[in-house]
Amino acid sequence: MQEILTVGSPKLTRPAVESKVKVPLIEMKSLTKKYGNRVAVGEVTLVIYEGEFVCLVGQSGAGKTTLVKLLTKQESPSTGHLFVAGRELAELRDSEVPYYRRKIGVVFQDFKLLPQKTVFENVAFALEVCGVSATEIKRRVEKVLDLVNLTRRRANYPAELSGGERQRTAIARALVHSPKLLIADEPTGNLDPVSTWEIVELLYRINQKGTTVILATHNRQAVDQIQRRVILMKSGKIISDQKSGKYVI
Amino acid sequence: METFGRIIRLGLKNFWRNNWLTLGATLLMTLTLTMVSVSLLVTFVIKDTATLIREKINLTIFFRIDKVPDQKIIALGEKIKTLDGVASVNFTDKTAALAIFHRLPNVNDNIKKQIGTENNYLPRSLEVGSSDVDNLPNLALQIGAIDKGKLICSDCISYKQNKEIVDQLIRGTRALQQIGWMLSLFFGIIAIFNVSNIVRLTVAARSDEIEIMRFVGASNAFIRGPFVVEGIAYGLLGTVLTLLALPALVMAISALGVGGEIGQAFTVLGVDIKGYVLNHLPILLATQLGLGLGLGVIVSLVSIRRYLRA
Repeated sequence: MQEILTVGSPKLTRPAVESKVKVPLIEMKSLTKKYGNRVAVGEVTLVIYEGEFVCLVGQSGAGKTTLVKLLTKQESPSTGHLFVAGRELAELRDSEVPYYRRKIGVVFQDFKLLPQKTVFENVAFALEVCGVSATEIKRRVEKVLDLVNLTRRRANYPAELSGGERQRTAIARALVHSPKLLIADEPTGNLDPVSTWEIVELLYRINQKGTTVILATHNRQAVDQIQRRVILMKSGKIISDQKSGKYVI
Repeated sequence: METFGRIIRLGLKNFWRNNWLTLGATLLMTLTLTMVSVSLLVTFVIKDTATLIREKINLTIFFRIDKVPDQKIIALGEKIKTLDGVASVNFTDKTAALAIFHRLPNVNDNIKKQIGTENNYLPRSLEVGSSDVDNLPNLALQIGAIDKGKLICSDCISYKQNKEIVDQLIRGTRALQQIGWMLSLFFGIIAIFNVSNIVRLTVAARSDEIEIMRFVGASNAFIRGPFVVEGIAYGLLGTVLTLLALPALVMAISALGVGGEIGQAFTVLGVDIKGYVLNHLPILLATQLGLGLGLGVIVSLVSIRRYLRA
């Protein structure tokens, strides 16, 4: 394993051997999203492969969140094509959307946790709504809580957690379906530097286990420390796409 | 089955947890059901009172010529019975007429003394009850037609004499009945608005929860489920509370006015309001349950619809 990160931060390691055969997971072809006359995403063409860790960077209003919304099927493209795992999202029927969302994990800046549920219940909720049996829920939630290092906080309510712990709960909930793709939209926006690092490190570990991670952020330090693929957006367009880069405006 | 159980548990938990909204929604539902029940009861009372009045409007044929034997009048009565719309025919002979006359409360005793068995001037009569009071004019014509022996004199059918009063009563009862139905409809519409607003409020208060459910891949049916359960709970609890409130309300209505004039007014009309509520309990319960559950479920489904667009 190759050491890749800097002094002063916990150490992250990059797998020495990257996947040999690149299988496209996400394909965008001339993808455009307009709100009235305003172009939020314009003519974006992009391929993201299985197992990649992609940092989607840019200033506020660059189009990162719109791209995330298109990927989560919260929005539909105005023109162009968006394929995830070979399936064009525009062709998904409304009834198929929940099943699609079970295959992707999404993490938000504001955590989106249910305040009246404990950590365990918040994570379990994602499986309950899908009809998973109680025994299976217990097994999977315990496993994922262990992964995000929240086992001892399982009975706490979100109000009793730190920002970092809340975000880790949200990540656990996103991961409990074992998704192929994890989308994190500004997950460190509300966090202090230490918690930010914990979350980035966690996302990194998740990626190492094989999950494709898209991290939409404008946190320069986090992006620079990861040193993975960086896609820079500006005014809805891709300005640069570096295979192993830094956040450079 | 496990999912179904989860939906019910989630719905009941939400119902219990959002205490103020639940209280508001349940009270509004109770108020609504009570309003509808009372207006329904009033409608029933008006309808039955109208029927009672209409049933009392009979057609009476007097026979002033004493020479005509009873048998001929009874035979005519038998013929009348065969006519369409005739519910009953009762013959009153001179003795019975005298007994009725002596029982009349507002006839001077001196006059009563002048009419007795020896000098009974009272006419015999046939009282014809009709199943349809609107048909009385037609029935009078038919009776005239079958009276081949010309036993009935030209102005001896009392209906003709009281035609205007009868018509007024018929018009009055019809108007009252229509007012009753309009009241029910009016309160029904207010009810739908009331309940729909508060349920919308409960749904809006949980829009974050709905959003999270959508993000974690809950199907629309799963998201709707707990809200439908809550709607059912509002309907059920509202019905129970209305059933408890209604007897108290009826007693209060009966006692209204000086010395319970309203209650007495109902009694004069031949309606025992308390007994009335008891007799109509099944239909009231069915209406309340149907309306409560229907409203709860439909309003929940409509309120949540805008949050379910993919």
